[in-house]
Amino acid sequence: MAQAAEQFDAPSFPKQGAIWKPLPKGKQGKQQAAHTVQTIRATPDQVFNLYTRIEFLPAWMEGVVSVQRLSPKKLRWLMQDPGTGKQFEFDAEEVESVPGKRYVSRVTTGPTAGTTNTLTLEAHPSGRGTVATLINVFTLPGGLFTKAVTSVVSRSPAQITIENLRHLKEVLEAGEIPSVEGQPAGRRGISGKLKQVLYGENMPMPPGTSDRARPDDLPESASKGPSKWGVLLGSAVAVAVLGSLLFVETKSDPSGESLHD
Amino acid sequence: MKAVCWMGAGKVEIQTVEDPKIINPGDAVIRVTRTAICGSDLHLFDGYIPTMESGDILGHEFMGVVEEVGTAVKKLKRGDRVVIPFTIACGSCFFCKTDLWSLCDNSNPNARICETMYGYSGSALFGYSHIYGGFAGGQAQYVRVPFADVGPIKIESDIPDEKVLFLSDIYPTGYQAAENAQIKPGDTVAVFGCGPVGLFAIASAYMFGAEKVIAIDRFPERLKLAREYCGATTIDYTAGNPSIVEALRDLSNGIGPDSIIDAVGMEAHGTDAAAFYDKIDQALMLETDRPTVLRQAIQAVRKGGTLSIPGVYGGDLDKLNFGAAFGKGITMKMGQTNMHKYLAPLLKSIEDGKIDPSFMISHRVGIEDVPDMYKIWRDKKDRVTKIVIDPFREKGIDRLRA
Ligand SMILES: NC(=O)c1ccc[n+]([C@@H]2O[C@H](COP(=O)([O-])OP(=O)(O)OC[C@H]3O[C@@H](n4cnc5c(N)ncnc54)[C@H](O)[C@@H]3O)[C@@H](O)[C@H]2O)c1
Ligand SMILES: [Zn+2]
Ligand SMILES: [Zn+2]
Repeated sequence: MAQAAEQFDAPSFPKQGAIWKPLPKGKQGKQQAAHTVQTIRATPDQVFNLYTRIEFLPAWMEGVVSVQRLSPKKLRWLMQDPGTGKQFEFDAEEVESVPGKRYVSRVTTGPTAGTTNTLTLEAHPSGRGTVATLINVFTLPGGLFTKAVTSVVSRSPAQITIENLRHLKEVLEAGEIPSVEGQPAGRRGISGKLKQVLYGENMPMPPGTSDRARPDDLPESASKGPSKWGVLLGSAVAVAVLGSLLFVETKSDPSGESLHD
Repeated sequence: MKAVCWMGAGKVEIQTVEDPKIINPGDAVIRVTRTAICGSDLHLFDGYIPTMESGDILGHEFMGVVEEVGTAVKKLKRGDRVVIPFTIACGSCFFCKTDLWSLCDNSNPNARICETMYGYSGSALFGYSHIYGGFAGGQAQYVRVPFADVGPIKIESDIPDEKVLFLSDIYPTGYQAAENAQIKPGDTVAVFGCGPVGLFAIASAYMFGAEKVIAIDRFPERLKLAREYCGATTIDYTAGNPSIVEALRDLSNGIGPDSIIDAVGMEAHGTDAAAFYDKIDQALMLETDRPTVLRQAIQAVRKGGTLSIPGVYGGDLDKLNFGAAFGKGITMKMGQTNMHKYLAPLLKSIEDGKIDPSFMISHRVGIEDVPDMYKIWRDKKDRVTKIVIDPFREKGIDRLRA
């Protein structure tokens, strides 16, 4: 107590607190909300810049094959469920984009139309980087197709939300996404073979900065689609560009596509 | 290459598997020159750590020569001689930056499994089940090492492998155990377990200024090393007469040791009634860990003392005397070792000749001998105190203390 008083300005009371408001979560009708919060050791601008660079989305977001810009605010997404190899396309629009603070997009076509993704960024109050909050509200039309869309990599909507922000953090902080995909192992046996997917040995992780060309290295059934990831992301290029995002304090890279310009 | 593979509880096999390759740009591939079997490997061997799968390559204590590096690696090059810490850390997250390397945020690809079990995930470990990332281990001829610029420590001198190999785990682990014990000069410290971790904890307790270190085990060869190399006063807990709590009270001027280190962990051997129930409970999977030593340590430590726990616990404990811990106001510190923090200073202590970690090696073996050695290590047969493996030697057991 005495020590605390020496180190900080001693507070005086009464002092106004706050009521906790839960972040969106759970199912309501056709909508399912999920959220995740991470502290990322990077500036809000760095987080925003990587999140909004569409050419890098396949590098860290699960199940993304490619994203193309149709017009300044319209994007076409091509996704693939690595489990089944099924690909599906939808369009999305940018609803709000405030560099370094907030980015909101909404799916406009296909059975998941209406799905929104909201990323909010704030500087950590005591200097640990950026507090990133990702809220996804999925529109679930029901049926098999939904399953393909919402359970990419056999993840639940809640889990894919968590994993995607985790991967963004991994790339920004560590420069790569940890993976054991393709490592050697002894004889797996039956249950081991099944669980290899669960444990990530042949479940495709987004490649991060590695030059694992996706989806060519998927199991046979899943490897039919065109491989764009390898072309998009030679590791040397990725490292160089990520490097420029992370270590040069530029707010936007004029040469690259960025969702907020 | 040849590798030691876990093939179910109580079963390891040497199998020929594919060579590891670079997966991420920060990776290196190491040709392993020496590796060892750890007390922690026994928890896997005995089947107490969940999410092991047949075919998993074991081993987290190893060193070798860099064979290949990924495109982002700057500090290492082919031909460098390195010791690899068993915890895998990114070097740039909040935890790494605050020296909590074993709690790294960014190294475990299976963090979600760990989060389900523990709330949050620690760092990945080599060869230590899929909750800890599922990374193939180093009881093999080659191994892939992620974050190669962060973990491996280069050995620039021509000091023999076996003197620096234990920087990969047990020397830093014993040292952190002593650091966590919050020892002040003049203190009395008790160490349960005179396996490799316990032995390094005893030596390290003296490095932190302990006046007297008391060591507890039941194997004469281990107690002898504790006494004759590390300087401990030893107690054979099976020798009967007083209880351990009483013996420790008598040896600490009636107040109990200032600090106690549990270097035994979840598979403690026990003779008392509670231990008997633990065995049954553990067999029935009602509790995952047998906390015999933890209970004794809580009971024996002095009021306001510190309990340091390097011994591994994996799950739930039954009948823990938490009231005693509370009633005496004790502090507990524990966890996997924050390896990276200790590598450089402890390498220096070896190069300065303060300690020769190879003192505990009892067996040097070839890779085909490893399945038999796992059994010997588990049963503590053949006066075993530490086994090192030359993975490129086919067969042949050297007993170094015949
Ligand atoms: N925290 C970490 O990062 C870390 C790292 C390495 C090892 N460990 C753990 O440390 C522990 C010891 O490792 P080790 O390599 O020395 O193993 P080990 O099996 O060689 O040693 C354990 C010793 O404890 C003794 N023992 C068993 N029951 C006892 C009892 N009731 N009272 C006193 N002694 C008893 C055994 O006789 C043995 O000598 C293990 O649990 C291991 O998993 C932890
Ligand atoms: Zn170990
Ligand atoms: Zn880290």
